[in-house]
Amino acid sequence: MESERESVQVTMIVTLPDSSSHDIGEEQRTVEAILIRFGINPLEVIVSVGGTVVPENTIVSGDDRIRIIRIAHGG
Amino acid sequence: MAGTDPVKGRIRCSICPAPSIIRFRDTDRQLCAEHFSANLKERIKKTISDHTMINPGDRIAVALSGGKDSTALLLLLTDIVPAYDGVTLVAVTIDEGISGYRSDTIRSAEKIAQETGVEHIITSFSGLFGKDLDEILKGREERACSICGILRRKALASAAQSAGAIKLATGHNLNDEAQSVLMNTMRGDLVRFIRDSGSDSGGCFIPRIKPLMDISEKEIAVYLMSMDRFPDLPECPYTRYALRAEVRSRLSTLEFRHPGTMRNLVTGKERLASILAGIPLGGAINRCTECGEPCSGTVCQTFRLIDTVLK
Repeated sequence: MESERESVQVTMIVTLPDSSSHDIGEEQRTVEAILIRFGINPLEVIVSVGGTVVPENTIVSGDDRIRIIRIAHGG
Repeated sequence: MAGTDPVKGRIRCSICPAPSIIRFRDTDRQLCAEHFSANLKERIKKTISDHTMINPGDRIAVALSGGKDSTALLLLLTDIVPAYDGVTLVAVTIDEGISGYRSDTIRSAEKIAQETGVEHIITSFSGLFGKDLDEILKGREERACSICGILRRKALASAAQSAGAIKLATGHNLNDEAQSVLMNTMRGDLVRFIRDSGSDSGGCFIPRIKPLMDISEKEIAVYLMSMDRFPDLPECPYTRYALRAEVRSRLSTLEFRHPGTMRNLVTGKERLASILAGIPLGGAINRCTECGEPCSGTVCQTFRLIDTVLK
């Protein structure tokens, strides 16, 4: 029963600009709160959730997949 | 006020039921991909019109590095210029010769030029100056951005003139403009602080236009991402030597904490420039005594570089 409960546990995964992935649990919060937690200025990145670009005040939770893309510069 | 999907927290566009892709922090307005694209085009058209950047019959060279700003510029201009009679575009790319960086961006530039059907010219530092940037910078890496900037300006002007263009459009955005204001202030360079690259210079310089000057870097990135055209490219390896990189980071933090900072810097500079208009500040444009090219002193920056680092 315990292992069955574990297998359906949902969790959010954040992929940072350096391609590292982080499990941040399932508790709902804004994208902006996640960026600030990782020390990222929201003006320097774009964020996609499930492959779609979203504004930073979007609330994420559950099994959302959040990708943070740095706005490259210099060129 | 935009609506929110109560289940998944997705925010809707302030105009239609489609999901929002961007929030304007000053007004809390939300826009979907379609309405944001339309909003962006209208604001760029207004910038072009307010500054009389484009006239019928213009042949405009678009500086196309292949990065996000120039990619967005070319996409948007190909959409906007048909409204002007007889305006033609030619994309110009400068291959400075930066290993591990430029070949990827050139491929990206070639791809976007091909997709938009715009004529594309590539000019290299090695073809123009006899050496590529990596070679020029050996032992001088800390001066990378100033040396590259001078040579790239020369190369762009040369390529644009060879292509028969009478204007050069660059992808400078609001962030770039605000950074320049701050950097020129830090250097105490009043002439450069108020100089307008698009203003009349007696035919000396090819006039530059900056159609994206009122659009933030973030907006450009969101626009490209929403169109699946955001170029995933490496960062220039010399960026870390640039004062601009430091200014950029600090200004971005200020803008986040104090929204409107960048816009206020640019507006303040424009006000000051209009007050100082007509007052001589020692910034007269002369001809270089060595090569005849336009310059602010007696010998142009390019010739000074050719005389030192390129020999």
